[in-house]
Amino acid sequence: MYRPSHAWLFMAPALIIMLAFSIIPSFMALGLSFTDYNVFQKAQWVGLDNYRTILRTGEFWNVLRNTLSYWLLVTPVLVTVPVFVAALVNREMPGIKFYRLLFYFPVLVSVVITALIWGWMFQSNGILNYLLGLIGLGPVRWLTRRTTVLPSLALVTIWQGLGYYMLFYLAGMQSISLDVYEAAELDGATNWKKHIYITFPLLRPVIFFTTVISTMAALKEFTLMMTMTGGGPIGASKTVVYLVFEEAFENLEMGYASAISFLLFAVILVLTIINKTTLDKEQE
Amino acid sequence: MLRKKLSLIVLALMLTLSFAFVGSVQAATEITFWTLSLSPTFDDYINGVIAAFEAENPGIKVNWQDIPHAVAEQRTLTAAAANQLPDVMNLNTNFLKKLGALGALVDMDTAAADVKDHYFPGIWKAGEVNGVTYALPWYITNSLMIYNKDLLAKAGFDGPPTTMEESWEMSRVLYNKLGVYGNIITSIHLQLPKEGVYLVSPDGKSAAINTPKALEMFRNYKKYYDEGLIPDELLLGQAKGIEWYAQERIAWFVTGPQLFRQVLDMAPDVYHKSSAAFDVLGSEEVVNVAVMNIAVASTSKNQDAAVKFAKFMTNAENQLAFSKLTAILPSVIEAANDEYFTAGKDSTDAAELGHYIAAQQLQYSTDLYAPVENVTRINRIVNDEIKRVLLEDKDPAEALRDAERLINELL
Repeated sequence: MYRPSHAWLFMAPALIIMLAFSIIPSFMALGLSFTDYNVFQKAQWVGLDNYRTILRTGEFWNVLRNTLSYWLLVTPVLVTVPVFVAALVNREMPGIKFYRLLFYFPVLVSVVITALIWGWMFQSNGILNYLLGLIGLGPVRWLTRRTTVLPSLALVTIWQGLGYYMLFYLAGMQSISLDVYEAAELDGATNWKKHIYITFPLLRPVIFFTTVISTMAALKEFTLMMTMTGGGPIGASKTVVYLVFEEAFENLEMGYASAISFLLFAVILVLTIINKTTLDKEQE
Repeated sequence: MLRKKLSLIVLALMLTLSFAFVGSVQAATEITFWTLSLSPTFDDYINGVIAAFEAENPGIKVNWQDIPHAVAEQRTLTAAAANQLPDVMNLNTNFLKKLGALGALVDMDTAAADVKDHYFPGIWKAGEVNGVTYALPWYITNSLMIYNKDLLAKAGFDGPPTTMEESWEMSRVLYNKLGVYGNIITSIHLQLPKEGVYLVSPDGKSAAINTPKALEMFRNYKKYYDEGLIPDELLLGQAKGIEWYAQERIAWFVTGPQLFRQVLDMAPDVYHKSSAAFDVLGSEEVVNVAVMNIAVASTSKNQDAAVKFAKFMTNAENQLAFSKLTAILPSVIEAANDEYFTAGKDSTDAAELGHYIAAQQLQYSTDLYAPVENVTRINRIVNDEIKRVLLEDKDPAEALRDAERLINELL
């Protein structure tokens, strides 16, 4: 016989893990953000000093600008392009599974390997500049100039994320009943119209989900910058999380780093709420 | 009779217990020793030194743990947060300075005063922060030149450069004639002190970078960069110099001789065209030395035993034995004088000759990092400013003024 306590019993392992490794540490980090703490000496309460210092220093605004620029370069593409890729591979034809795998393949490659491979391709004498040279263009200084470094890194993220987001849309498309399409066909709808009036509106929950997920991923990106550019040239690809890493583990400013993390958390929260309310309004 | 027997039994029990107690006190002196990425390659060596130490000091037991280099700082911080720092730690120089400044390490100027003069003075100061030394130097490497004889010959040179001016002249010819780079700039914070420009004052209280010599160097670098002599990727740390050397994109590269073999692995033909030479010393006649340090945690409950072990690990005999296992150098003068280090003098193999030259360079070797807590941030400030000059045409004088201001804010 079912009792509510049974549900808690089943949820307990996950709940304990979440409490121990996510929720409690988050609250501890929040507490830490009001202190001056370097691990080796006792934490000292400094109130809002860390937050004030962060907002006063140019470096935070610089990394926030970089992070938001990167987000604007990555998320719109990762929300829209995979829809079309999914529509392309959402059909029955010989070898379609191979094409799906082909798009998904970059997801399986680790970020560090991806960074190494793209790092070679982006080199001044790399294959990209070689190909551009064949048509009389370039060389482009992909990772060594302020203006090109973030678009280049965004390109790598898009290459790697396309298949991942495609999978969500594909699942979403395959859950749409075929009856709806058949009814539209009877009414004389073309393929394009079927996508515009049926597929895309019914994919709205998936679009919200991918927007939120890709926004969070873009705003938290760090590994790619760490491995490909070291945040350079001259901080042009340094992101907020990169700054958190530097402050926490190089400068041992744990309280200051925690405060930066919570400011980033606030930015992500605001963007997610805006996204949700916009979609809710449209749905109404 | 019974009473006598009982007294004897009690006496025997007391004696047994007292011996057991003494034994437990002696065995209680346990110290933990962390090394960085030395296991499993050097297991036999480290275990051998520990066994010898324990034999000499029967009351002390050493528990050795090896930590992967890449996670060393995070592991140390986690251990510190849990109040479980090891008694004896193997630390790199930058992290050591940070920990020393925060009071996490034992002052070795006092604790190891009896052995201080056993070490090379320029190397001993690697552990110095704000006038106090917080570690004993252990194994070291200094940087020297691996150069491509073929490329130099094709450009019309019969040997590598010996002065800074000559190195840039040769770089110009190599670039214009063969499209190959010579000098590269990677760590400006190590270049400036070689010409007498120090980032901070000797007392560590103020910036010392803004000098006419520094301005001249910044202007010269800009001139060389505009001529195309300094490659972006190496300047920005986005490519590895040793790989570019193996690809014959640079004609010489300054690094530790232990890395020369990487060229052999990547490009055997390039390695066989290579030889080794002294690093260009600069006006101060110094070369930078990369030091692995051994420090003792100030939280250690067995500080005396820990310091004793640190001294033992870094003594002449043990360092010499370690140096014979791989291409490293000892920080102790007596060990460096061993004839083992003259073996590669006439070798045609770049790594063997390099090992000999590295030992000869010991007299010029010195730790060129600023002896202050925020050394990592200070190095970044200076490197960022030179990059602004080269990549974004910032005025060199303004760059030096900004560097000076930012460094002063940190001190």
